Amino acid sequence: MSAGDVAIHVRNVGHQFGEAGEARSVRALADTSLDIVRGELLCLIGPSGCGKSTLLNVIGGLLTPSNGTVQVGGKPVRGPMPNDIAYIFQENALFPWNTVDENVRLGMLFQGVPKIEHAARAKKSLEAVGLAEFADHYPGQLSGGMRQRAALARALSLQTGILLMDEPFGALDEQTRMILGEDLSVLLASTEKTIVFVTHSLGEAVFLADRVAVFSARPGTIKKIIKVDEPHPRKPAFVTSEKFTELRNELYALLHDEIRKAVSSEAPRGRNGGAV
Amino acid sequence: MTSVQSSRVQTAGLRGNERTPATARRFLLRHPGVVRLGVVVLLLLVWEIAARVVVDPMFISPPSRVFTSLGTMLGTDGVPNALRLTFFELAVAFAIAVTIGLALGLAIGLPPFARRSFMPIVLLVYGMPQITILPLFILAFGIGPASKIAFGVTHGVFPVVVTVVAGVQNLKPILLTSARSMGASRWQILRWVIFPHMIPSFFAGMRLGMGGVLLGVLLAELYVSTAGIGHFTTMFTETFQPNKLFGLIAMLAAMAIVLNEIVRRAENRFSRWR
Amino acid sequence: MARRRDSAQQLASRAVQIAFLLGLFVLWYCATNFWGVNHLLLPNPVAVFHQLVDVLQGGEYLPDLRVTATEFVVAFVLATTTGTVVGFFVSLSRYSVRVFEPLFAGIYSIPIILFLPLYVLFFGLGPASKIGLGTTIAFFPIVLSTIAGFGNVDRTLVTAARSMGASNYQLFRYVLVAAALPVILTGLRMGFTVALLSILGSETIASLAGLGHHIVQLAEAMEMSRMFAYIVFVVAIATLLNVTVSYFEARGRRLG
Repeated sequence: MSAGDVAIHVRNVGHQFGEAGEARSVRALADTSLDIVRGELLCLIGPSGCGKSTLLNVIGGLLTPSNGTVQVGGKPVRGPMPNDIAYIFQENALFPWNTVDENVRLGMLFQGVPKIEHAARAKKSLEAVGLAEFADHYPGQLSGGMRQRAALARALSLQTGILLMDEPFGALDEQTRMILGEDLSVLLASTEKTIVFVTHSLGEAVFLADRVAVFSARPGTIKKIIKVDEPHPRKPAFVTSEKFTELRNELYALLHDEIRKAVSSEAPRGRNGGAV
Repeated sequence: MTSVQSSRVQTAGLRGNERTPATARRFLLRHPGVVRLGVVVLLLLVWEIAARVVVDPMFISPPSRVFTSLGTMLGTDGVPNALRLTFFELAVAFAIAVTIGLALGLAIGLPPFARRSFMPIVLLVYGMPQITILPLFILAFGIGPASKIAFGVTHGVFPVVVTVVAGVQNLKPILLTSARSMGASRWQILRWVIFPHMIPSFFAGMRLGMGGVLLGVLLAELYVSTAGIGHFTTMFTETFQPNKLFGLIAMLAAMAIVLNEIVRRAENRFSRWR
Repeated sequence: MARRRDSAQQLASRAVQIAFLLGLFVLWYCATNFWGVNHLLLPNPVAVFHQLVDVLQGGEYLPDLRVTATEFVVAFVLATTTGTVVGFFVSLSRYSVRVFEPLFAGIYSIPIILFLPLYVLFFGLGPASKIGLGTTIAFFPIVLSTIAGFGNVDRTLVTAARSMGASNYQLFRYVLVAAALPVILTGLRMGFTVALLSILGSETIASLAGLGHHIVQLAEAMEMSRMFAYIVFVVAIATLLNVTVSYFEARGRRLG
């Protein structure tokens, strides 16, 4: 893991959904600044509505912020940058009418990878996530965990320097999350990708991340960044260690009040369409 | 152990006697299709008896006589040609309706403004009783196959348009976002995301469109026809030959069933991922 | 701004719709008055309007309307009665549903209008054949939706009612009917539409009276403007009926 190099440069990014002064407008993200180091895995964690997904969308170029700039590799982000950034969503974003293999290849087609490389890259990334034998299955035939593995394979095959993951395990059960988390840690230990990972789960954040950015309640900004000093790949034994518990407790302390604040001020669902 | 053995011995004889009705009942329970067939056979029997005993043979023909006169009916001069002509009209009307329906559906469904503006008009026209303008179609296109085809097209095109528009619309936004994030161009999104998503709806539309085409063509045929089946239904009615009339209608019903089945199978085949 | 944008878009859509319909009308007018389209094919819209006024004022439509309306009402009532009763009894056992539902669905999939000559042969050209065919055609969507409605009642509701001591009648009246109603209403609506279309259709093809028949008469006499007037009249009635039925269906759904 190379040190020092800033891969993503976030300066004073804030966002508002709807026009200022309108009844429907909501300030989703307060001015936030952040430097993400090349090769690190940074977790964004915070209460519902704090703006962590909004920030991720801004970094990924899927959303133009109301104010502030993001620079990736020195270039300002003005839209999706498929050659530099790959995105994994919480909702299943695999095309249901294509097999797993076809889905992976389609991603490469969109990015512009030459056709001759498709087969080899697809095979490699499917093997990396452990789905090699399910290449010809349709997403509808796979479990939730397998579908997210496929999404990960698709993202890996794009060979981008940066991977953005928006609560990728959010829709999965606890046990699947645990397995996938461990496998992800092993997989990412061997790459030099910069990863930004949004999650709700404290344990997941501590287990996977090099640094954890804790958000305050809406309109959110980064309250504190916690370092997790533990080499990758992280062993299952880490989860039961004292260091883990301390870090997790620290996160809990930081988050608890923010979560309460977020829940008590939550507007009735449906009025504000903005992303969290 | 002994008691079980002895009870088994005891019941063996009983079960041997009861085996036939018990297994028969179980067989029927597991195969409702057989019972359904039985119901149909029963209805045919009722028809047979009623036609022979109760009703005047001028008006209703028993199924047996319909069956035996199939040969003569088909041998009647012009009937096979009429059937072929009807099939031709159906096929052409279907092809035209599907093509126009797909084109219109995409034109209206893809741009959101077009959909908001024109869909209400489409639905309004779809809801109107087209049968009232059938005489107009005949005046415009003549009494030949052209009017039948045209009437079939106007009936078949609407379900296709409506289903294609619906199919384009209910695409999960996350799929579009995902494609965008991977750098897909507008054309690539159309070809690899929107189009495959729309295909099952399109095939469902084709199934409904076939129903519409059948209705339109047959209505037009029954209204006026010089060489088509409408001509012969009129003839058989006026000459009080119910056996031939039943036979002809049965053939047409069979044609309708076959065509519907073909489209239904195509729909299933292309909707496998759903 | 977002809200303003939405209503601006709605307004724009409406404007396009109105412009489109007006444009068609203008085209019609020009085609017959200026571009020499054959009046035997497309009559002058002004003439059509005058004929429409004449028909409505003179009440010429009344006897035909009476015939059509009677045929329609009788057919629909018969279809509803038989359809709901048969559908209910079929829905009582899962087995009978599996036997009969595909049978009904299969028959419904062919255009039953095909059997019109049979009905004409048996009942003659009078109202009876139209009623017969109309009842037959409308029967199927009603029976299928009744089977679906009663057949898919949530078992937990039935269990709950029974555990509170509901009698058979109470179960039927307060649980089954309420739960099945929305689906059945959809079927009734379809039956309504389909009955109307089949009555008009059979009147067009083989009849001595009725609105459909009158249109045919006018076509054969080449009285184009009057025929168009009748077409407008019939379409207006049909649209009015559809709108009314939609309204009642929506109300039924909200209460059910």
